[in-house]
Formats: sequence, C-alpha cells, structure tokens
Amino acid sequence: MNPLSRGSILSLFAFAVSGAALLMASSLPAQPGQAAKPGPAAQQTQKLTGSAIQIERIVSPEGLLIPEDTRVSMYENVILQLIQTKKFQHVYRSGDRTAADAPDLIILHLIPEAYKPGSQKEREVTTVAGATSIKVKVQFSSREGKVLLEKDAEGKVRFYGENLRATYDLSKKVAALVNESF
Amino acid sequence: MKTRSVQITPGVSSTGGELVRRSPWLGGLLVIGVGLVLTATAAPSFGRQSATPQNAPSSMIPDVKCVIGLENIKPGSTGTLTSLPTGLEFATQKKKAAITISSIQDVFTGRESRQDVGGMGGSLVKAAIPYGGGRVVSLFSHNVDVLAVEYVDTNGGFHGAIFVLSAGKATALKNQLIAQGAKVSTHMEAPEPKEQKP
Repeated sequence: MNPLSRGSILSLFAFAVSGAALLMASSLPAQPGQAAKPGPAAQQTQKLTGSAIQIERIVSPEGLLIPEDTRVSMYENVILQLIQTKKFQHVYRSGDRTAADAPDLIILHLIPEAYKPGSQKEREVTTVAGATSIKVKVQFSSREGKVLLEKDAEGKVRFYGENLRATYDLSKKVAALVNESF
Repeated sequence: MKTRSVQITPGVSSTGGELVRRSPWLGGLLVIGVGLVLTATAAPSFGRQSATPQNAPSSMIPDVKCVIGLENIKPGSTGTLTSLPTGLEFATQKKKAAITISSIQDVFTGRESRQDVGGMGGSLVKAAIPYGGGRVVSLFSHNVDVLAVEYVDTNGGFHGAIFVLSAGKATALKNQLIAQGAKVSTHMEAPEPKEQKP
C-alpha cells in the first residue's frame, strides 16, 4: 500500500470517527431530559384524566411581592401553553361560568413561592448576574378540591430576554408537566 | 332707445393692486378682512372638533406593544392603543380588540427598562459584535411604562392584558380609565427592577 492511499484511509477513518462523535454529542441534550424526570415510578405510570381544565387566578401569598404584569403574564402564558398541549377539550379561564357544565374538570392552581426580580441590563452586561426567576407550586385538583398532583416549577431568564420571559419559561414547564401527567 | 354714456375718470378706474400699492393701510385692512372671513367660516368646524373630546374623551397612543392578553391579537404585536368613552381599543394594521369599561376589574401601571437594541435580531447583533462589544450596546436602555389591565369576558372568564407604552403615558391613561368608571383596587407597589434605582 503506497503512502498516499494510507493517508486517504486515515483521513476517511478520522472523518468517520468525527461523524460518530458529532452524532453522539447531538443525542446528548435529549438524554438528561428523559433521565431527569423526577418523582416515583408510580407517579409516571399513573396518568391523570380530565376533559377540561380551568386555571385559577394567580394570587401572591402574603409577604411575597410579585409585579402585577408578571402575575398577569404568567396566567396568560400558561393558558396559551395549555391550549397548545391539546390535552383538554376546553381550557377555561378563572371565573368562566360555562366551566360548571364541563365533566371531569381539573382545576389548576399556580401558587407563587419565590420571586427574584432580575435585571435585563445586568444579565446582558455581566452574563452571570441579574437572572430573573419565579418559582411556583403547580397544583392540579378536582372540582371538589381534592389535590390530584402537586409539583414545583421554576421559570428563569438567564442571559438574553426581558424579565417577563421568565413567565414564558415557566409556562413551558407547566405545559411539560401537563404532557407527562395527563 | 336711450343710450347712457358713462365717463370713466382715470382715478376711479384704478385696480385693487394699484390701490394697495398706493395705500399700505388699505392693503393691511384687506388682509385682515380676508383673515376674519376665513376665521369666521372655519369656526363652526373647529367648534365641532373641540366639542367631541369634551363629550367623549379619547386619546390615541401609537407604537404600543401588546405583550399578551388580547383576544385575536398575536402576543408581541405593535399597534395603536386608544382610550374611548366605551373603553380601550387596541388596533394593529389588520386586527382590533376592545376592552369595555364595565369589564375592567383592575388597572396597574409600572415602569421598566428596555434595551435600545433588543429582540431576537438585536440579541444576535450584540452576540456578533467582537471583543464583547455587545455588552457595551446593552448598557443603552430607555424607560417604558407598563399598563396591565385585568378584565372579564362575557362568560365571566378572567383575562389580563399587558401593554408597553412610551414613558409617562400609562398613568394618564389609567386616570382616564378611572374617570370613565373603571374599577381599580388599591395595591402595594412591587419593587422596581434594579437598573431603575438611581
């Protein structure tokens, strides 16, 4: 075998190895999401059922000040994301009288637990400080008030984006929770 | 048949232009007279225009961003927010949405800081500037007002709409809504973001 053909074989081998490494690297981000699903195995297998869901108004507990626009944005974003999951025939808003006739109605409460107001300027200038985060308890209950599922979710904006983007991030997490629980 | 002969003297036959040239005072009077006539004819139409805001106050604020919360309006759309006697109306180039005064449950105002170069495109541009130049661009920001309106639909469903307006306009709009009969509760002010502190 002459040196030229040996070199071409080596380059082909290197190309194949790098391709395999690229494939492995691209498949890595998907793995932690599947592996990081919290909770016992029983909770994962036992799915909740409901034909409709109603989101209750988000009320800040005493001692926790959350800007009104953040509260409103959280509520509206969660509604939009729940509609996109297509898990329910109807997504009712808080106070909607037509929800009274819905069978198997699930009530969703979002109870704020922590809020850290960040700063967009600080985030973008320093890239390590100024993150906005909001942590809520996501509670699914029946019409009678029986708690069916309760989990924590946290929305964050770390680098780029306005403070209200944390509420969008939170709503995506709530939607993911609905997707895995219903 | 009688014929009438008219003698025209050179002094009398002079034109208006000549008169004005001859006497500046007369020209000034002519201009004032024309101005008065024009003012008198325009007065009724001005009167109608000025009477409308008194009876039905309305203010139009262009370049308002509807962050979220209006039916049929895509989140993040920019349009014109108008305060009408019946309530608020937000109109983009294609769509309109309205919130009636009677449906408003609460109105909140706040102030935030927005990047001068923002959005997805702005973020990409900042990221593309070499030697951390994007961070310097991030230092430039401006204050904006945030108006949050909580309202209910015909079924009693609770909605919340958020608008971002240029600084100093949200409070006036809120006061106008209150004057028109919108419900507003007293609430504690949340802490402002860090960059707004002096």
